[in-house]
Amino acid sequence: MKRKLLFSILLILAMIVSACGGGSGSSGENADGKIVIKYINGFTGGDGEFMKKITNGFNESQDKYVVEESQEKDHYTKFKTGNYDLVLIHSDNLETYRQDNMIQDISSVIETAGISPNDFHPVAKEQVTFENGTFAVPLDIHPMTMFYNKKLSPVAPTTYEEMKTLTDELQAQDPNLFATGIPSAGLGEWFIMTMAAQNGIDMIDGNHVNFAQADLADALMNYNDMIFKDKISPSGLGLDGEFQAFMKQVDEGGSSVQTATALTGPWYYGAVKEAYNDDLGIASAPTLGKEPGVYGGGHTLALPASVQDDEKKAGIAEFLKYMYTPENLINWADSGQAPTHLETMELVEQDAEKYPLAAQNIKQFDTFLGAPKLYQYREQMRYMVENVYPQVIKEGMTKEKLMSELEKAAEQAKQIADTAPQQ
Amino acid sequence: MPFYLTDGGVNGTMKISRTWSLIMYLPFLICFVLFLIVPLVYGLYISLHNWSVFGGNGGFVGLDNYIAILTPGNIYSTAFYLGLKNTLIFVAISVIPLVMISLALALLVDSIPNKLKVYFRTIFFISYAVSVTAVSAIFKWLFTGNGGYVNNVMNTMGLSSINWLNEQPYAWIAILVATVWWTIGFNMILFINALDEVDQTMYEASSLDGANWWEKFSYITFPSIKGVFVFLTIISVIASFNLYGQTLLITAGGPAQSTQSLIMIIQQMVFNQNNLGIGSAMAIIMGMIMMAIVATQYFYSFRKE
Repeated sequence: MKRKLLFSILLILAMIVSACGGGSGSSGENADGKIVIKYINGFTGGDGEFMKKITNGFNESQDKYVVEESQEKDHYTKFKTGNYDLVLIHSDNLETYRQDNMIQDISSVIETAGISPNDFHPVAKEQVTFENGTFAVPLDIHPMTMFYNKKLSPVAPTTYEEMKTLTDELQAQDPNLFATGIPSAGLGEWFIMTMAAQNGIDMIDGNHVNFAQADLADALMNYNDMIFKDKISPSGLGLDGEFQAFMKQVDEGGSSVQTATALTGPWYYGAVKEAYNDDLGIASAPTLGKEPGVYGGGHTLALPASVQDDEKKAGIAEFLKYMYTPENLINWADSGQAPTHLETMELVEQDAEKYPLAAQNIKQFDTFLGAPKLYQYREQMRYMVENVYPQVIKEGMTKEKLMSELEKAAEQAKQIADTAPQQ
Repeated sequence: MPFYLTDGGVNGTMKISRTWSLIMYLPFLICFVLFLIVPLVYGLYISLHNWSVFGGNGGFVGLDNYIAILTPGNIYSTAFYLGLKNTLIFVAISVIPLVMISLALALLVDSIPNKLKVYFRTIFFISYAVSVTAVSAIFKWLFTGNGGYVNNVMNTMGLSSINWLNEQPYAWIAILVATVWWTIGFNMILFINALDEVDQTMYEASSLDGANWWEKFSYITFPSIKGVFVFLTIISVIASFNLYGQTLLITAGGPAQSTQSLIMIIQQMVFNQNNLGIGSAMAIIMGMIMMAIVATQYFYSFRKE
């Protein structure tokens, strides 16, 4: 009987242990004997199929390597807890992942692939270049983009004054029509940083974002003026309100407000194109401050620190070589994303009608200002974005009140920066 | 020493040895240890260390994580107290509606003819089967400030629009309505089952004595279902403490972080700041607060007995 008991215990333990095992062999090869490269990204939206097209194209061209692409909604969590060979990192996260030793210098791999950092637009090259190496390959930049409804605004407004004129014209038609929408949440970081870029404000102080600047308070108060003084934007727009107000129709009745333009992320292209079709216009972000400038995000491909196997690295190099061939990377422009690879940019510009969004956003690269290279940059921004920015666009906000909040935000950012491992 | 079980007298008595009973019990024991005891002890262990999601164990720090969280003036305590305050607000506003509305619904359903009962029970319970993502999407659409359904209805009635999701206390009201709609079916089913167990002869006797509806409820119904009432109050407190999906998806923690629950803060600490040590310590403190509240509730509910 004791044997039976022992057997049962062993059987249960064996089941548990086998359940904990991985799916593929430890050699990293699949059943066909090809070397597997596990690539994870967060392209769960419309752009996902275009990335798959590139991956599938590579796999069809290969008899030595196979790329297993995972598109996950929360791919950072999966990456942190899983085992991958290539990972998509947003440019504002690179410094954090570098300092936490989660990614490694990719220079030797891209060299094998025949790619040089000089093959990319300078602003993209700068994002991936650090004092101790190149930590990613730039993929695209997605700046704040202006969509406009040609029926309400035949041409895109380019300055604050033009926005004001447009609002006056629209308000004469219907008091629920406005030039644009300033949301209280969603793209707060983009609105803050675009305004900083357009006013030439240096946001970095040592290891943290320095919000406690009178110039920044002045610049941000522009948004308050746009809502309460010049009525360029309706008040009380909430999360993603810039997009929702652009998609509304005032003739729906009630208290709905509609805007002629939306300063938003390019990922809304599919939705706005479907809604407005030929009446949709795409333009650069207007100059609401003193000089042209725009903020946004960027995608890069990084090499996880855990990848040490030379054969894997050779496979990754082969994949990058395939991806960064303009004829293949153009698929990414087809998704609406603006590639930063110079030769692919040329292809896009040559066929701007086929790639309208990418072609338009490429025009913004020269005035683009990316996220500063700071440890836990997103967390440093959190208090400012979630707490201070919504107050900026509330009635009654003054520069004095704002300065006090900006000081709190700067202090929070500093405390988060001080948690960096490489202090 | 064998154990004896009866199977209702159909096939006589079945004999199970101690060894076999242990084998039958073993899968539960292993799962209990693996999925409950080990994570709990491991979480406690991590909370006493400087532990990064990336870097792993950075060394034993004793109670430093707990001290950092509980001592005001740093990013961890600021985040923790904000999350705790918001969570307590939600517990305070949600538990009474969650229990009382479900009790009222259960009493209503209980009073209708048996043939109809099953339909109403199903209709009220069906919302519980919907995922939090779908519920949040629906209520976000209903409560959207710019041309949302609720505001349109209010406009039709001559009332002005409310910025439901971007101003307090409206944001809490929207989350509360969504939560009540979503979870009330579960509480109601338990109340209905408890009401089914109440001895009907007591109602007949009380009717003969001239008792009105309230007297019947106070002296017969409520004492009979008090156990279920206390149980549901306790699990509603626990469920409200675990507020996450609704605030994440409907308000994204806003306006101005006022609906950021403690679970959201813990999630940020672990997966955004990569600080598993602080995150685990926050989770342990949260668990202790929940236990204290539930124990107090339990003690006061049954103290007279």
